[in-house]
Amino acid sequence: MLIRFYKFILGFVFIGVTVSSIAQDCNMSILGTVIDESSNLPLTYVNVFIQETGTGVVTDDKGNFAFANVCKGEYHIIFSHIGCETQRYHFDIEQDTFLNIVLSHSETSLNTVVIQGVKNELSNQSNISLDRKDIEDNNNQSISSLLQNETGVHLIKNGNGISKPVVHGLFGNRLTILNNGIIQSGQQWGNDHSPEIDPFAADKITIIKGASALAYGGGNLGSVILVQPKKISKEPHLHGQINYSFETNGRGNNLNTRLEKYTPQLAFRLNGTLRKYGDSKTPNYYLRNTGLAEANLSLQLEKSWNAKTFVDFYSSTFNTQLGVLRGSHIGNLPDLEDAIGREIPFFTEPDYNDSIDAPRQEVSHHLTKLRLKHFIKDNQSVELVLAGQLNDRKEYDVRRGDRSDTPSLSLRQYTFNSDLKYAHDFASDWSLIIGNQNIITDNTNNPDTDILPLIPDYRSIRTGVFSTLSMSFSSAQLSLGWRYDYEYQSVAAITRSQPPEIIRYQNDFNNFSMLSSIKIDISEHQSLSMSNGISMRNPAINELYSNGLHQGVSGIEEGNVDLQTEKALKQTVEYKWLPSPTFSFNALGYIQRFKDYIYLQPEEEVRLTIRGAFPVFSYRQTDARIYGLDLSSQFTLKNSIIGLVKYSYLRGYDVGNDTPLIYMPPPSLFGSVTFRADRSIGLTSNVKLEEVEVEINNRYVLQQNHILPQQDFLAPPGAYNLVGLKLSTNVFLPEYKFRFFIKADNLLNISYRDYLNRQRYFADDVGLSLTAGVNLKF
Amino acid sequence: MFKNYRTVLLVVLGAVFFTSCDKDDPEIPNGEELITTVTYTMTPSGGGTDVVMSFRDLDGDGGDEPVIVGGTLAANTTYNGTLELLNEANDPTIDIAEEVSEEDIDHQFFFQTDITDLTVSYSDQDSQGNPLGISSTVVTGGTGSGQITIILRHEPNKSAAGVSDGMIDNAGGETDIEISFPVDVN
Repeated sequence: MLIRFYKFILGFVFIGVTVSSIAQDCNMSILGTVIDESSNLPLTYVNVFIQETGTGVVTDDKGNFAFANVCKGEYHIIFSHIGCETQRYHFDIEQDTFLNIVLSHSETSLNTVVIQGVKNELSNQSNISLDRKDIEDNNNQSISSLLQNETGVHLIKNGNGISKPVVHGLFGNRLTILNNGIIQSGQQWGNDHSPEIDPFAADKITIIKGASALAYGGGNLGSVILVQPKKISKEPHLHGQINYSFETNGRGNNLNTRLEKYTPQLAFRLNGTLRKYGDSKTPNYYLRNTGLAEANLSLQLEKSWNAKTFVDFYSSTFNTQLGVLRGSHIGNLPDLEDAIGREIPFFTEPDYNDSIDAPRQEVSHHLTKLRLKHFIKDNQSVELVLAGQLNDRKEYDVRRGDRSDTPSLSLRQYTFNSDLKYAHDFASDWSLIIGNQNIITDNTNNPDTDILPLIPDYRSIRTGVFSTLSMSFSSAQLSLGWRYDYEYQSVAAITRSQPPEIIRYQNDFNNFSMLSSIKIDISEHQSLSMSNGISMRNPAINELYSNGLHQGVSGIEEGNVDLQTEKALKQTVEYKWLPSPTFSFNALGYIQRFKDYIYLQPEEEVRLTIRGAFPVFSYRQTDARIYGLDLSSQFTLKNSIIGLVKYSYLRGYDVGNDTPLIYMPPPSLFGSVTFRADRSIGLTSNVKLEEVEVEINNRYVLQQNHILPQQDFLAPPGAYNLVGLKLSTNVFLPEYKFRFFIKADNLLNISYRDYLNRQRYFADDVGLSLTAGVNLKF
Repeated sequence: MFKNYRTVLLVVLGAVFFTSCDKDDPEIPNGEELITTVTYTMTPSGGGTDVVMSFRDLDGDGGDEPVIVGGTLAANTTYNGTLELLNEANDPTIDIAEEVSEEDIDHQFFFQTDITDLTVSYSDQDSQGNPLGISSTVVTGGTGSGQITIILRHEPNKSAAGVSDGMIDNAGGETDIEISFPVDVN
C-alpha cells in the first residue's frame, strides 16, 4: 500500500474559467495552465484527461496544456499528478475555453488543517493524513488497520478483525476519534472495541499528534483522529464508484459503492459497504472463528439555503459481526496457562470455515448529524451541530445450555451531542473561535444476559466551553487556547451481595485544558513547531465501578471509587525540512507527563471462585511519563522512484512504581520504494494505463524489551519483519476509468506475533495474503 | 427561512432535554447460569456413612469468600461418588447437574489428587460412550492427606489423547468449575 508522508495533495483551490468569443461546433479548444499555489510556479507532468473523448495530455514545463478540435458539449476533465489523489471536474464547453488552475501544494496542505473552513488551533500541530486513494486501495481493511503504517500510530488488537488505534501510546478514552466532527461513542473502554466507522464513507483521515485539541471534548489527552467525508462536488450528473476486492487469506470479499449527485436544491452522496470474511490463516494453521461480516450504509445531504447559510445532514449505520479466536476463550487462569503453552491453539480445525460462532461480537452503531452553518459576514460564522448516536454492542460467549445465543454482555449506549461554534477571521489572518459543547451519554445493560454487568448503567452529562486564538505573523504562526468541561455522572450499579441491591453514585468533575503552540518558518524550506498542552481527564465509569470477572484480562476487575482526575502535560517539537520538491524530512519528538495516571494493577491477592482462583486487578493511580520520537523522510528520484522511511520510537514509564508501563508499542521501522511510470502507457488508441506503480514495502517491529517479566503472563514476542508488494494502475477507457491493484501482505509468509495483539497469547498472526481489487468510477 | 431550522432544532433539543439527569434503576439479571454449590457425596460401597464434601459461594465471582467443607475417608475403601451442582442464588434452586447431563457430550469432569494410592475413576458415560463424571468411583489405599480437585470442562475435546482416561492436559475447552477439597484418609 502506498501511504506517503509528504503527499502532494492537489486541492483545487481556485478554478477560473475565461471565455473567448468564437464558437464553432467541433472546432473548439481547451487551453490552460496549472500552477502551484504556494510557489506560484507552473506544475509540470500533470496528466490532464478528457473522459468523454478519451484524450489526454501532459502539462509542459510551463504548466500549459492544450486540447484542440473539441466538440461543443459537457465534459469531465481529470487532473492527476505524481503521488496525488486524482481530481475530476465538470465543464460545459460552449466556446474556446481557457482554464486557470491553481493547485495547493504539499507544504501548505501539510501545515494547515482546515476543518470546516476555519483555521484553528490544530494548524500548528503535527498531523498526517490519508486520502481517498489510500482508502480505496485498502478497502479490505478496517479504519484502524488503514492507519497502522503511520509514524507514531500503532494498533491494539484482539485478533485480526478487532483493532483500535493507539497514537503516541494512548488509546481508548485517552484518544478522541471524530467521525464527521462527532466524537465517536462506545470507545471509552475495552481493548476489543473497534471504532465502528466505515472508512469507505470518508475521503480523508487525519491524525493530529498534538499536545491538545481544545475544540473537541471527550477528554482527549492530545491526539485526535479525524474521519471526514469531503464536500459533494458540484457535478450535475449522477456519479459514483464501485469498489470490489477479494483477499485470499480469510477468503474475504469487500464491496463498496458510492453514488453522488449535485443539484442546486440538494446534493446527496450515498455510500454502502458489504464485507465478509471467514477464518484467516497463519502460515501453519487456520485461526478458527476469526471471520467477520459487515454491512454499512451512509447518506450525506448538503444544501445551500442561500449564499450565507449551509445545511448538511449525515446519517450512517454500521453493523458488524466479529468472530473471536475460539482457542482464546478460557474459563480460568490454568486454562490460560494451558492455552499459552500450546503449539497450535485448542479448537484448531484442518479446513477453512466461514461460520462465526461464539465467542463473537455483534455491534451496530448508528449516527445522525445535522449541521447548520451561517456566515454573518464574510469573516464571521456561526455553526450549530446536533447529533445522536446509538451504539448497540452484544458479546456472545460459549455458554452452557442454549445460552450461547444469549449475549454475555449487551450494552446500549445513546449519545447526544450539541456543538455551537462562533468563528471570526480578522484581516491580519488571525482567527478566533469560541464554542460550547454538550454531550449526554446514557448507557444501559440489557438484563437478559442473565449475568451481572461488569460496567454499571449510567448517565453522564458533559458541558464544555472553549476559545482558541490563532495568529499569523510574517514567519510564525501562534495558537493559544483554553477549555473548561464540567461532567456529571449518575451511576446505578448492582451490588454482588445476596440478594443484590442497587447502589447509586453521583459525581461532579471539573476539567481544564490549555494549549499554546507555535510554528516558526526558519527559512523557506525549514520550519520548527512547538506545542505545549495541559489536559485533564476525569476517571471513566469502568475505572470507577467495574466489578466482576473480565475475560479480557483473565481476572477479577475492580473499580476504584477514590480515583482522581488524571492530569497530563504534553510537549511536542517538530522539525520539517523540505529542501526541494523531491526530498523531505520530518522529526517529531514528544514527552507527556501524567499525574494520577489511571492504570490496571495486578494485585497480590487472588480471589477464589467456583472456577478456581483468579488474580485481582484494580484501578490505581501513579505518575507516569511517555516519550517518543517519530521520524520520516521521503525522496523522489527522476520523477519515477519514490522512497519512504518511517521510524517510531516510544517509551512509557511508571514513575511512581519505578517500572515500565505495560501495553506500550515497541519501536518500529517502515520503508517502501515505489516505481512509477512517469508517462501513461497506451495499450490501444482508446485504452491507456496511467499511474502504473510497483511498490515494495517492509515493516520491521522490534521486540518490546521495556517490560518486566512479572508484568505479564507471557514474555513479549520477538521482533518481526513483514514484506509487502503492490502493483496498481489506472485504466482509462473512452467512457470509464478503472483502477486495478494486486497486493501481497506478509509476502514471505512468516510466523510472528505482535505484542499489542491479545491473540498473541494463543496463536500466531496471519500469514501470506493476496488481495486483488478493482475500482470503477463513472 | 429560520422557521424551518427552529422546527428541526426543537425536535432534536427536545429529545435531548426531556431526559432526566439521573439514571433509572437497572433491572437485576436473574443469573440462572451461576453455579453456587457443588456437593460431592461419597457412599461406601460396603455400606456405612456417606462422606459429603461441599463448596458454596452464593454471591458468585467476587464478593464473599466461598465456604468449602472437606471430608475424611477410610483407608482401603471403595466409595461411589455423586456430584450435585446447584444454583441456590435463584429461587427456586436450579439443578445445574441436570443441564450438564442434557449436554453430556459437551461436558466432562476431571478428578485430580495429590494423595498417593487414592484413585477416582468414571462410572458413567455420555451418549457417545465417553466418560462424563457425574458418577464416579473413589478407591482409597493407605492413609494420607491432601486434596481432591474437581474440574468441569465445557466443550472439551473428548477424543484427544488421554482425555477419556481422565487426563486433562489435552482436553481444552473452558473451565466451568475448578475446586479443591481438603481430604484426609485415615
